[in-house]
Amino acid sequence: MTTETTATGDYRVHLIDTGESYSCPANRTLLNAMVALGRQGIPSGCHGGGCGVCKVYILQGEVTTLAMSRAHVSKEEEAIGYALACRTYPISDVVLKVVGRMRKSVVYRYGFI
Amino acid sequence: MGVMRIGHINLRVLDMVAARKHYEEILGLMPAAEDDKGNVYLKGWDEWDKYSIMLSASDRAGMNHVAYKVESDGDLDELKSRIIEYGLDVEMVPPGTLPFCGRALRFWMPSGHLMYLYAEKEFVGKAVGVNNPDPWPDGLKGAGVHWLDHCLLICELDPPSGINKVADNTRFFTEVLGFRLTEQIMAGPDHTVQAAAFLARTTTPHDIAFVGGPTLGLHHCSFFLDEWADVLKAADVLGKNKVKIDVTPQRHGITRGATSYFFDPSGNRNETFAGLGYLSQPDMPVITWTEEEIGSAIFFHTGELNPAFTTVYTEGV
Ligand SMILES: [Fe+2]
Repeated sequence: MTTETTATGDYRVHLIDTGESYSCPANRTLLNAMVALGRQGIPSGCHGGGCGVCKVYILQGEVTTLAMSRAHVSKEEEAIGYALACRTYPISDVVLKVVGRMRKSVVYRYGFI
Repeated sequence: MGVMRIGHINLRVLDMVAARKHYEEILGLMPAAEDDKGNVYLKGWDEWDKYSIMLSASDRAGMNHVAYKVESDGDLDELKSRIIEYGLDVEMVPPGTLPFCGRALRFWMPSGHLMYLYAEKEFVGKAVGVNNPDPWPDGLKGAGVHWLDHCLLICELDPPSGINKVADNTRFFTEVLGFRLTEQIMAGPDHTVQAAAFLARTTTPHDIAFVGGPTLGLHHCSFFLDEWADVLKAADVLGKNKVKIDVTPQRHGITRGATSYFFDPSGNRNETFAGLGYLSQPDMPVITWTEEEIGSAIFFHTGELNPAFTTVYTEGV
């Protein structure tokens, strides 16, 4: 995977699932930068670390994270690179895999949730 | 007699500083107390009891419990017998167990959410007082919400396995706690699956609501505003503060309320809700929405469900 460096303070975020990438400023979370660009790929939920739909696995690169609900990312998972994209700031270019998803098993069968 | 209204909700937050900024500066709730465990208690300016929001620092988002206020202390004894008769476990906990409250009934709803009923909570008074009051107080912050209005809980729904906690809760709340079903969503084959239920004890369209989902959870807690213009203004406040908005201002088919949904800094969903929709009375016929019109039931203008709205929520216990 090639990582092209962008303007100072902006990092490149690669989604290994789709091969797509986008630019993320150092002061924005991986998820916030994606939705601000109108892009998709990581499911977008509460943006507060509470719902877990934006869970990712960081394959390459350095990040810092804010508090994430332990209901969705355990200490052990966090230590090996799992994070919620809405709580994660890049400090280098990042390659990630999307792990979270919108839970929709019942949606189509029962019309609602 | 019996249950009057929602009294408070105890929310778990991942960052207390961020949570206080959200609930105090952006929603405009007023600080009421802080205890030695670090729990923070807040009230709306138009509420008279000590608090309606209790924030507890935690490493998991969601809710610990919801509490409803009953009219008199004796109601607790009667409700306790009825709950036991119904077959649920219930415990009378001594005064102070529920902070700043008298004795309380503690039990798990059929859905697994923890609920308390209490008759007494420390009195503070409305910010405008009771003698020749102004219509609103000076110095309100942010959206200046009036009061905690209702909550919506996600209840496990898996009809092929015979699980419908929406229906189980609805039965318990109507038969035991005296709530009235005002509206429901019926889904599945021949519309036989109660996928959502809205229930009231006051004359508003709902004081609590249950919606089906894969696991129990907290969908949202809602704060009352006077009117549509206030919901728009509140959304301006959210935008100014970069709060994550889930649904911009619009109208619900169910309850007819003007609404906007957004998330607190821990991902717990909040709503600002305006208008009382209609007068809900004991003899009002139940309103039923069917699966085909579910989009309009929730978001009347677009008639489309937003996947994040229906699938994103925090823990309910
Ligand atoms: Fe609501």
